[in-house]
Amino acid sequence: MKPLLYCLLAVGLLCGTRVAAQTATYTNFIRQVQFPSGLQWDAPVDAMGEQLSALAIDPGGARFELWTVMSAPLTSYLLSSSYVGTYIPVAQVVITSEDGSSAIPRTRADRPFTVDITITGLLAGAADPEPSKSVKFLQHVQSYGVKGTGVSIDRTQARLMSQSSITTNGTQKLTFSLNSVPGEDRSKVRGEQRFSFFSLADYQAPESQLASQFIQIWPVADGAITGITQNQLIRYALPQVTLTLNDLYPTSTTYAQVYKGDAQLGVTGKIVPGSALVINDSVPQDRVLTIRKYDSVFDTDGRWTMELVTVTPFGIDRLCYVSFDLDRTIRMNSAFSTVE
Amino acid sequence: MKPLCAISLALAALSPQARSQQAAAPPMRDAATHEQLAQQWRKAEQENPTRTLAPAKGADPSKVNQPPDLLSQSDILCFAGRATLVPKRAVLHIPPPLAERLKFLPGAQIQSWTDFYAQNRGWISTLEVTRVQAEGNQPLAEDVTKRLNDSANLVVATYQGGPISVLPLKVPPPATPPKTPPVAARPTNNHQP
Repeated sequence: MKPLLYCLLAVGLLCGTRVAAQTATYTNFIRQVQFPSGLQWDAPVDAMGEQLSALAIDPGGARFELWTVMSAPLTSYLLSSSYVGTYIPVAQVVITSEDGSSAIPRTRADRPFTVDITITGLLAGAADPEPSKSVKFLQHVQSYGVKGTGVSIDRTQARLMSQSSITTNGTQKLTFSLNSVPGEDRSKVRGEQRFSFFSLADYQAPESQLASQFIQIWPVADGAITGITQNQLIRYALPQVTLTLNDLYPTSTTYAQVYKGDAQLGVTGKIVPGSALVINDSVPQDRVLTIRKYDSVFDTDGRWTMELVTVTPFGIDRLCYVSFDLDRTIRMNSAFSTVE
Repeated sequence: MKPLCAISLALAALSPQARSQQAAAPPMRDAATHEQLAQQWRKAEQENPTRTLAPAKGADPSKVNQPPDLLSQSDILCFAGRATLVPKRAVLHIPPPLAERLKFLPGAQIQSWTDFYAQNRGWISTLEVTRVQAEGNQPLAEDVTKRLNDSANLVVATYQGGPISVLPLKVPPPATPPKTPPVAARPTNNHQP
């Protein structure tokens, strides 16, 4: 019984604490399951930091499970698990995207991301056991469905995209120019792409997860301006307009702006009062805004363009625009005559 | 005051964050459409970096080796609107009046074991066990077992302060051969290990 002590990582996991998410409360637990005995132990851990597991690991290895439990209704969710063993390699998956603002990596349907995979402890000797010489690297994709947010999805239903064998230690950087989440409209896919390492089956433990990480993919936003039509001639007062915004990125600022002239990319105009919307959430948002009495942003008559713009970690995107002619001048035609 | 403000503004402007924001300001573009992305996606699928890795065979291990649900592997202790989870077989002794406290009552808030125990020491006792005892390789001392059975408190097994399951005591193989004569071995075709 080799007294192995493995590092039990709890960095940023808020273990043993309750965290509030809207009205629900969650409490996190780390459970160590010994193989092959099935002995289970809950490690007392701080909210953040790292520590060694006090329960020495058997030659069969142990699985560390990070769970969060919701109080009402009583439900448990497996956040992560990692199997460690005497001669089992150690693997790590780190996903990075252009949006670094979220605890769960996320990006948009049109943006790239990178996956850094690191493996240490692989052996290559002829007498070494097979699980010490190779690991499996898996790639899964799963759609959340139309307007889905990923809450309560069954991750065992994810589609296996690829299964690879890695036999050498080191770090590899995998760059994905686009996601592979299934969906008819590629700009509207929403779901997740998961990358996992699994050990090979051993005589004391089945193929077990060593490390796993997923990235959430959110759709490209779209929008519409109604109340003004393209090339409309507007006399006197500006009409009420409705801004319909769909799939606004979880971290984004969206507004309508106006500027003189025809539509042109990259022009900075005046923001229409009441149109600015700041989203700081974990899932995309839909909004409908009604705008009235915004004449003050039009200082002269003539050709104008109104456009919807969204600012995200990926840059500035124009969602839609409408150009129109504004004529608020009152011309009086009259005849003036005198009679002597 | 004014010079101070000016200096701080200048420093803020020179900060790496401000510079990165200035440098990172990308040009505006039209939101990507399905047509554009479908074309890019076909190319991206051909260049998928996992294609360069050696393929592996076998069933999807993520579907067959999922850890069982935590609730199914735990006992619940619940009292006064609060509750916690401990591994199954960690509760060593349940006095009959406290049996109802092993049921989760709707509305109770789940807490960590540490927090729950700190608030419920009046009716919960812990018994620190060794690793070999938890594995079922060594029985608990007789006097400990007696005290445990006489306790008016609910008793939870702990290891280094954390609740731990205590597996059934493994029965060692008999040291002396049985008195009954062994049954003669019969040939068989079954070669299972």
